[in-house]
Amino acid sequence: MRSRWCLSGVLLLAAACAPGPAHTKVTPPGTARVSAVPHALVVDFRDGTPAEAIADRARRWGLPLHLNSVEGLRSGIAIADGVDDVDAALARVRGDAEVEEAEPLVQVEALAFIPNDPEFPRQWNLRMIHMPEAWERSRGKGVVVAVIDTGIAYEDREEFVRVPDLTGARFVPGYDFVNDTDHPNDDNGHGTHVAGTIAQRTNNGVGVAGVAFEARLMPLKVLDRSGLGNSADIADAIRWAVDHGAKVLNLSLGGPGYSGVMERAVAYARSKGAVVVCAAGNTGLGQVSYPAAYAGAVAVGAVGPDGELAPYSSYGEALDLVAPGGNTRLGPGNGILQATLDRADFRKPVLAEYQGTSMATPHVAGVAALLFAAGARAPDEVEKALFEGAGSGGAWTPRAGHGRLDALGALEALGKNAAPVDWTPLAWSAALLVLLLISLKTKVRPGYLNVLLNPATLLPLLLSTVGLWFLRLLWQRYVGHPPAAAEALSLPLPDWGRILFGRGRLASPLMYSALVPAAAALFALRWRALRPVVAGLSLGFAGFLLYAAWAKAPGIAYLPFTFLARPWLVLNGLLAALLCRPMLRKEAGR
Amino acid sequence: MRIRGTVEFRDVEMGVWVLAGDDGKTYQLAGGRSSLLKEGQRVEIDGEVDGAAMGAAMIGPVLRVRSYKAL
Repeated sequence: MRSRWCLSGVLLLAAACAPGPAHTKVTPPGTARVSAVPHALVVDFRDGTPAEAIADRARRWGLPLHLNSVEGLRSGIAIADGVDDVDAALARVRGDAEVEEAEPLVQVEALAFIPNDPEFPRQWNLRMIHMPEAWERSRGKGVVVAVIDTGIAYEDREEFVRVPDLTGARFVPGYDFVNDTDHPNDDNGHGTHVAGTIAQRTNNGVGVAGVAFEARLMPLKVLDRSGLGNSADIADAIRWAVDHGAKVLNLSLGGPGYSGVMERAVAYARSKGAVVVCAAGNTGLGQVSYPAAYAGAVAVGAVGPDGELAPYSSYGEALDLVAPGGNTRLGPGNGILQATLDRADFRKPVLAEYQGTSMATPHVAGVAALLFAAGARAPDEVEKALFEGAGSGGAWTPRAGHGRLDALGALEALGKNAAPVDWTPLAWSAALLVLLLISLKTKVRPGYLNVLLNPATLLPLLLSTVGLWFLRLLWQRYVGHPPAAAEALSLPLPDWGRILFGRGRLASPLMYSALVPAAAALFALRWRALRPVVAGLSLGFAGFLLYAAWAKAPGIAYLPFTFLARPWLVLNGLLAALLCRPMLRKEAGR
Repeated sequence: MRIRGTVEFRDVEMGVWVLAGDDGKTYQLAGGRSSLLKEGQRVEIDGEVDGAAMGAAMIGPVLRVRSYKAL
């Protein structure tokens, strides 16, 4: 008999709330937190120890022992709480011949987030890709996901309605390429279903949950009421999406015809740092449809709840991975459930179960958003994490691609592949320092090493160019996955704004400016001892901002800055350098 | 062009009507009168295959129906 214990009511394994079709669900290792319950212990008596014998010992030991459950009589497991000195009590108990095992009571808590949406238990698809565990690490905060489809039921306007469960979901402006308006409402239901899987309002006590529920949706309508469209509108929408800040593009659409225009649009999106996720097709044949088959796209096939390729799913050479798309041949409850519009009447919101590679695709798009929010910087990094996380051990097959999507696996793979520290801004600062020193008169010019070897200057310099990079490494080595705050602190100081907004966000124009060193310089006017610190800080900012401008990175938040980003960075970099110059001066004649 | 086959409803995506062609291909039906859409109906369709059309169903090339004749 094992005396491995969990405090009832605390154990919230995702599997526990899985009725409907039986899907085996094993909590992956490292996803449970075990902690001792204070002043409590558990004693495992020999099987069949009579209750009187246990009561007798409880009196003798002075412990408020009581059987744990109705099973206690058979299993001999009893617990005691309110024990002042657990160690001393255990020492007394362990010597007894009737006791098999005695230990402190521990509480096992799955590191999983179980949303309160009433229909979540029916979403086998989200458990299959380990969403409850993945939500503990990322929810896609701030990342813009474009849904290029039939539109989204996101507003109550004219004859259109908003699906109630999307109330409170985050949207950015989109476009309707079919009717050429700024209101890409859904008159079909397909796009709303897909968008729901990506970022349905979650933990709101209504309806169902979505994968990246803190991401922002961009509705782009390219398919008409009958679900058909053309390659020109789709190519336009792809370019529009990335030009307006989308990092992930979901295309649950396709056709058999190759289009050079669309292929170039996909390549453009990728070159702008966006991941393009496309449905493999529903022909059931060994040929992936376009645009999924283009080189720059991630082609997604569909599996049912049994993990097998769904009979309708296309597959083949271009397939990248598979994700839950449902298989209704296995009976009701085996499709993908989402909030959408009635197929007979698009003014009527419903919850509906559909199957298709269109339903599989948004799972991948959602996880891509989680990866961007967790710090991925480029589409290559996202795809690498998706494929490695899919856990086929690098093997690729035409019927599964790199394997089945796993949100937790992908986030773990991203952590392992974390980009090394970028030391280039520090080099830029050092070069600037040389220039600044040369510009000073010999009388007031300190030595290069005198500046760099002064900890008061060096520390703020390091902080503003490379950040507390060691924090993340130490955390990973000794504690485990670093929390968001430790991740953010390991970034250069100008990126600390992302502590508030998530790492996938655009940079804040205030942090990417000379504001921080300028404010510090004000203090240095009064307290001269601060001057070396301000020198390091402003030198670091100057190097960081000028390097950022040179490297065309990053996008800066708020619209007017999209085209002003580089002039803004250059101006502020130079301002910071100017601030640094007087701070470096030796006091002449002293 | 004229294509013979059987009209079928397929439960993928939002649900889609197809012509299971006697040529072995599956065509997504677009346009035409609603009387065409009867499960199992044998028909000869006069229409155009729109190879460039894109859509949510992704089940095969789109066949734009001009007219049809029940067989």
